This record gives sequence, structure tokens and C-alpha cells, in this order.
Amino acid sequence: MDKKYLKNTNSIPISYDLIVQAIDTGINGVVITDNNLPDHPIIYCNAAFENLTGYQRSEIIGHNCRFLQGKDRQQQERKRIREAIEKGESCKVEIRNYKKNGDLFWNDLTISPLKTQDGQITHFIGIQHDISDQRALYDDLERERQKLEQRIEERTEILQNEREFADSILETIRESLLVMNADLKVISVNQHFLRTFKVSKADTENQKLYDLGNGQWDIPQLRILLEQVLPTNNPVLDFEVEHDFPHIGKKIMLLNAHRVELAGSYKNRILLAIEDITERKVIEERKDDFLTIASHELKTPLTAISGYIQIMTRNIPSDAGVQFRSALAKAEQNLSRLNSLIGELLDVSKIQSGNIKLHMEMFDFDKMMVEIVDAMRCTTTSHTITLTGDVSRTVYGDEVNLSQVVSNLISNAIKYSPNAREVGVFVGTVSDYVKVSISDTGIGISPNEQGRIFDRFYRIDQTQKKFPGMGIGLYVCNQIVKNHQGTLWVESENGKGSVFSFTIPLGKK
Amino acid sequence: MKPTIVICDDDQAILEMLEMVLDDGTKNIILVSNSTDIFNVLAYSRPCAVLLDLWMPILSGDQILKKLRATKEYAQLPIIVISASREGESVAREAGATAFLAKPFDISQLCETVEAYITS
Repeated sequence: MDKKYLKNTNSIPISYDLIVQAIDTGINGVVITDNNLPDHPIIYCNAAFENLTGYQRSEIIGHNCRFLQGKDRQQQERKRIREAIEKGESCKVEIRNYKKNGDLFWNDLTISPLKTQDGQITHFIGIQHDISDQRALYDDLERERQKLEQRIEERTEILQNEREFADSILETIRESLLVMNADLKVISVNQHFLRTFKVSKADTENQKLYDLGNGQWDIPQLRILLEQVLPTNNPVLDFEVEHDFPHIGKKIMLLNAHRVELAGSYKNRILLAIEDITERKVIEERKDDFLTIASHELKTPLTAISGYIQIMTRNIPSDAGVQFRSALAKAEQNLSRLNSLIGELLDVSKIQSGNIKLHMEMFDFDKMMVEIVDAMRCTTTSHTITLTGDVSRTVYGDEVNLSQVVSNLISNAIKYSPNAREVGVFVGTVSDYVKVSISDTGIGISPNEQGRIFDRFYRIDQTQKKFPGMGIGLYVCNQIVKNHQGTLWVESENGKGSVFSFTIPLGKK
Repeated sequence: MKPTIVICDDDQAILEMLEMVLDDGTKNIILVSNSTDIFNVLAYSRPCAVLLDLWMPILSGDQILKKLRATKEYAQLPIIVISASREGESVAREAGATAFLAKPFDISQLCETVEAYITS
């Protein structure tokens, strides 16, 4: 330190030599500028400042501090420093400075004026240290924060878009939707609901479902089902309500209710979808009527043809050739095929629209089985049909429908086991069910086909050409068994034959 | 005197076919295609059996059956209903049919059924 300089100033006592030495060896960079000389040159710097900036003392002394900013002159902090110097005040800034080698460092700079006793500012002292590491950390944090903010913004936008998307679906969907809480109080409804039932939001929201309209949904059976939706997670499916609704009159509505599967604020909500199927029912009924009439009309000429062919068969001239006889037999076969196809069409139409009317009564199941097996025996010369077991009691069901199931299954067993000779029919009781099984040793059904054979019009590819039919026999059987609250299933292995079984409740005794 | 059979069906093809099936020269066969004529035909022909279709315009088979069964004269007349309708059998039985044959029928079975009522 320059002692001469110190002697010339009255403000710093010489007894501070030791402190000056301490400053000189301190870790913070220290500079002192002379306020009375032009351009306020640096007149002192310590070793830490040299280290901090990479400049030699000789390159520092006499310069204005601004060289530390290099070309980075547009910083706001420079203005603050200038103002502080002009006003003779202290100030603290974080400013971008550059080392001799051009590296940026963040300088935590505090400048303070040194004054004479009469308040004259003679010098400024600047204490500085490199806070680049902290700044880097801070910048990283800031970047992370900005990234996070951006992500939140994006996420919010996505959520909002999704919400709008979901809302637009809810509003465009041509089905009435209601969201209810666990007490079956309506939380929200879509426009379609309001339009369908000609009601307002105020009529509906915050009301209990059962109090809506004229109590149209207050049906004991529906109550039981709806109240089970949350505790059991069993949805209500295809519940039909025929009712004289306020404003819109007599309608048939189809209801589905599901638990909304979300945690958090949407937990324990029920979504109820209501579809007006009145028109569809009318159309279905018309279609059924049409098919009933069509099948009746088709059967009339078919009856006449069948009669004539039978007359011809009876009266085949004794000298008729093989070709004539075979042609006549084939005509008869195909006529009977046509007849069953017409019948099947009618079955499917009725089953599809749920219009099969069951005539449920107690009947002698064993007698029915014997009659069917006897009748089937007449139709086959290739197979023997063995009937084992019995029920030994009357069963509650539709005899005509159930005998159709059994005959269908037996004729399938014969049809799909062309190289076998036997079809087994078993009947018995299992718990409070009747069980019937029909087994063959025919072509069998591969596991992946087994699930689909009960579908309408489904035919196993490889059998398509070999075995004629429309592929609705098993569908019809399955529907009939279902209508009896029973189940129909198959156990089978490719090439080893199949066992078709069904069970239905024995019913009241 | 030959026994008489009346066949009532609105479809001409069925009538002709049935006539051919049943006409073996041992019986009179009367064909009625307009169901409203049936009562007049019955009154003069005094048949021993009637074959009756169900679905006919203006007057259906079950309506005819119910009317006939309501009279003393025809309460016991053997009436065999022939129909292509799925529900035909239950409708026929309910209306008082003696027997039911689904269309298309097996002509041997038809002949047997008719013969059974002629001899009895």
C-alpha cells in the first residue's frame, strides 16, 4: 500500500497499517478509486482482486473500473453504480464482469464512499467477490422453475383441452347423460337430456334422481340395482323403462349406469346414460311383423311345391331311371332346407328384438327328451343316438323352445361327426338345475373358435364349405337357454369331438 | 254316399295341391278360397271333416273356428287346422281345433289324419 497516499489523506489513520495488510491478504477483491481524479481511476487493488479478475496490478491501477464489464455495457446495474457515485451513496449490485481471458463471472459488488470530516467524497471502495457458482445454481433453479411453470402451463392447457373435448363429446352425444353422487342426487346433465325430457337444468340438477319428473325413475327394481352400483361396482345394463313421462308422453327408455372410475374428486359418482328406444322398438316390431308375414307368405308356395313333390315321389313310375329318382329326392331335401332357413330367419329376428315370447309352464322334461330323441332317430341312418339319465320331475320352461335347443344340438352332433356312428345324450339334475349334454366324436372345435360359435351368423371357416347352414342354430339355442336363466357351453378338442351342455333352473315344484 | 271334406284356404295353389293329395275317388272334396263362404258351404255340404287355414283375409281361421264351436251343430265337427304360422298351433288349439298340421306338411301324415276322422 502506498504510504505517501495515506499520509496525504486525513480520513484513514496510519495506525490502520495492519488492517490494510489484512485487506491485502483477504479473500474478497478490494479496489479503491479516487473520486477527485478524472475518470475516477483505481488507485488500489488487493491480491484477491488480481486473482478474481486475472489481471496484474500493473494492468489495473489507473483504469476506471468499467474495463471489468468488457463489451457488456448495457447492464442495468451500471446505471445504479453511476447514480450511487454521483449521489455519493453506497450500493450493492450483482453485475456481469469479465476476466482477462474473457470468462464471465458474476461479481457481487458493494461500493461505499469514503468521506472527509466535512463530507467531501474523496474515494470509493469496492468490495467484490465471485458469486458465479451461486449464480449458476440460482440460474439452474430459475431455469427449472421456468421449465416447471411452462410444463404446468402446458399441462393446464392439455387438461383444459381434454375437458373441452370431453365436454364437447358429452354435449354432442345423442344420448342423455346424468352424473350423480353417491346419494343419487343429480350433479350435472347434458343438453341432450334437457332436450329429450324437455326440462331445464334447474329442474334437474341438485335433485334426487327418484324425485325427477313424475317419479319416472322411482322403480323398486331400478333402485336396488342403482344402489348396488357403488358398493359392488356392478353396472346397470340395458334396464328398460316404459313410462308416461311429463311433457313427452309414453316412451321406452333404456338405462345404463356405471361407476365413474376415478379417484379424487370424481370418486363415487355414477354416470347414468338414458337412450330413447321408443322408435327403435316400433321399427323392430315392424321388422318382426314384416318377417313374420314374409315367412308365412314364403311358406305357402313352399307348401304347395312340397305337396307336389311328395305326390311325385309317391307315384314314381316303375321304369323311372336313377337320375329321375335322385333328382326328386334332391328337390325334396332342398325344399326342406329352404323351409328351415325361413324358420331360422324368423327366429333370429325375434330373438334379436327380444320378442320371443316364452310360454312358461311345468312340463314333463323326460317325456320331451324321449320324444326328441325318437324323432331324431328317424332322421338318421348313420348314427345311433343313446339317451341316458332322467330328471324324474316336471321342469318349468317353454317346452317348444327347449325342444328346439335339444334337437338343434343333436342334429349338429350328427352333422359335424360324419365319420362317427354314435351321439350320446345325457339328461339329469345337478343341484336345482336340469343338465343336458350332447356328445359326439366328430370334427371338434378348436379353443379359439369355441368362444365365437354362439355368435350370430358365425361359422367356423373350415366347415363353411363342407356343412351347409346359416350359422344361427347355436345362436338361437344360446338365446333360448339364456331366456331360461340358464347357460350353454361347449367342451371340445379339435378332431376329438364336442360335448355341448346346458343347464336351466328346475323351477318351482 | 261318399264322405265330404271341405278345404278352406285363401291360397289357390294349396287348395289344388290338397285336392290332388286327397282326391282318391272315395270322397267329395269341396274347395273354399273365400273364407266368408265357409258357413254357407258347411250348411249345404255337411262334411265329415274340414281342413282350415288360419291366416286368411277378412275372416281368419280362428274366428271361423270360434264361431263354429259356439254352435251346437258344429261343436264336434272334426276341424283340422293347417298353418305356416309359428304360433299357429296354440292359436288353433285355443280356438278349438281338433288337430293341427304345420305347413309344409308330410302328405302321408295329412292323409292319415283326414282318414282318421272320416272313418270315425
